[in-house]
Amino acid sequence: MSIDIWWRIGMAGDPGSLRTAHRQSRGDWAPAGPDSITPGLRGGEPDGYGLLDYLVETAKAAEGLGFHGGLLPSFAGTDDPWAVAAALARETKTYKFMIAFQPGFLNPVQAARMTASLHRASAGRVAYNIITGGGGPPQLWWGDKVAHDDRYARTSEFLDVLRGVWDGGPFDFDGRFYRVEGAGLPGPLAGLPFPEVFFSGSSPAAIAAAGRHADNYLSWLEPFDALRAKFDAVRAHSAAPRFAVRVDVLARPTAEEAWGEIERGWRHVRPEAVRAQLSRDGGDSFGVRRAVGFQPESFTGYRDFEVEPNVFAGLALMRPGPAFGLVGSYEQVAERLDGLIDLGVESFILAGGPHLEEAYHVAEGVLPLLRGRPGERAPAESVTLSA
Amino acid sequence: MSGPRIIWTIPTRGDGKTARGWAPAPALPGFLTDGRVGGPAFTPFDYLHQISRAAELGGLAGVYTPYDPHGEESLVVTGSLGRDSRYLEVVAGFPAGIATPVYAAKLSATLQRAFGGRLSWRLEVDLDERVQRAQGDFVTGPDRYARAAEFLTVAKAVWHGRDVDFTGRFYEVVRGGFEGPLAGLPFPTVYLSGTSDEAFALSAEHADVHVFDLAPDLDAHLARLDPRVRPALQASVHTREDEVELRGPAGLRGTYQQVADRILAYADRGVDTFFLSAEPRLEEALRIAQHVRPLLAGRA
Repeated sequence: MSIDIWWRIGMAGDPGSLRTAHRQSRGDWAPAGPDSITPGLRGGEPDGYGLLDYLVETAKAAEGLGFHGGLLPSFAGTDDPWAVAAALARETKTYKFMIAFQPGFLNPVQAARMTASLHRASAGRVAYNIITGGGGPPQLWWGDKVAHDDRYARTSEFLDVLRGVWDGGPFDFDGRFYRVEGAGLPGPLAGLPFPEVFFSGSSPAAIAAAGRHADNYLSWLEPFDALRAKFDAVRAHSAAPRFAVRVDVLARPTAEEAWGEIERGWRHVRPEAVRAQLSRDGGDSFGVRRAVGFQPESFTGYRDFEVEPNVFAGLALMRPGPAFGLVGSYEQVAERLDGLIDLGVESFILAGGPHLEEAYHVAEGVLPLLRGRPGERAPAESVTLSA
Repeated sequence: MSGPRIIWTIPTRGDGKTARGWAPAPALPGFLTDGRVGGPAFTPFDYLHQISRAAELGGLAGVYTPYDPHGEESLVVTGSLGRDSRYLEVVAGFPAGIATPVYAAKLSATLQRAFGGRLSWRLEVDLDERVQRAQGDFVTGPDRYARAAEFLTVAKAVWHGRDVDFTGRFYEVVRGGFEGPLAGLPFPTVYLSGTSDEAFALSAEHADVHVFDLAPDLDAHLARLDPRVRPALQASVHTREDEVELRGPAGLRGTYQQVADRILAYADRGVDTFFLSAEPRLEEALRIAQHVRPLLAGRA
């Protein structure tokens, strides 16, 4: 079984490095300054470039390095992944777009049409990261009032409708959340390969829904025993699940260099922010509450957040995003990723800031050292790419 | 002025330990899906474009593709990179021996049309003579400066004029000159280099900019330069946030602030353009853009 390595893309821009992760200097989500890129300042004036130009550069780097594609995240404070995928489709060759979206925000027939058109623009390079919602104020920012466990029922219906119209219909559906009559994708849009589905969610309701709909059950990185238990719970609801993890990676030739990046970035972290993080309740997001539970109860410095070897729980204090990441030498990070493969992981969504330069660290430093599953370990084949 | 101008050097024979942009890209281990396999062809130019786009998006002034007989062809690389940018000055390095001056000008007029006037020539005069002979070029010694002078004279004449007749030691043209859309374009900015008497004489006649290597006797060389010609400096650069991180090659080496201060000190001596390089070219271009360029902005 082949293992897919995806590389995330920074949909609200990127910092210049993890050392300066408090400032997004790439993309136009932060005010332009002298150190800005896309837009840069030429003669004091913005040069006309924007985040999309930086995303093109990042996606081209990722595909040129052999990554399977990338996750295009979606939050209140990001550009929209459907629109970005449409633009990137014409600028890239093999990069696959794992579009993050919440079913409640979009009519399922429209989602099917957008997907089919994107498939046609990109020769079938669309995948889904279906998020059912962290809840709390962000959910209401989108205008979504449906309660947590009901949202999973809605996601199930959404995918039932989407699959129902995918091959052309006519399809009728009358559910709690959606109703269609005589629906179906038209002509050339109908019957394309259905996108690979990555399903997120850590609660019992999410795990139950994933069993019905997901090709891949996607989790954030957590301590390995916790992930093993979570995967076992998914296995209880699904005949043959595939597992995916979303992992931030900070890898350098030596462990000292890698932790040196953390040390320098940590200088910008305020102790009160650490205390607030440790007491954060995470709204009604089960995943965030889990992550908080894995953090240390007290701290004296950033190394206290290395909760097991190379598993660092302090990233959310340094930049927006998940708490956990792997930090270490190329060899150490490769060993931990092999450990995740041993847990059953078949797809990785790796990430690091800035996504452009870090893609090279991971592809050139870490991936060649991966060994795969014990029974299937073989020397790397020589794949000749056109010169 | 907007500050010192940084022109970033494009690798012609690979970059970094995997020779990106030259050698075939390494395959992933066999049990990983290689996203590239089965898709449209990737080419080594994809990576060269990554570098030049980093320079463009990072607000650097230009990219320079050196002449390298054992590497990628510089005018072709220039043609590709220039079209993929809006602001960059694109500098092609080549010697006079590669073509007649009329043909070099003709090819360059098309590049100039493609780029909207951002092409520059960096004419290499004192190449290793064994390298020259392997390229079919047997002009040696000071004659190379005489030929370069004729080359530039003829190229400029046919670029700007009609019915150009020229008879020299190396070239002869009858009723030359460009017409139609090829006429009236800006002639490429001419960069020359060298510290011999012949080199300074050639620059006085033909150069817009004269490129010096980083050397302790720079002031003595600057004094010999024709006042019409702008000086530029060429150096490898090695810069990090902290001094403790600084290992590696000599050249323009120091913290971000130290390198910026040195560049500004050269700018105070009249040097406005810096041909810089560091490996890996992509990451280091972004490092310079993000951390050094802001310290130069609005100065000089």
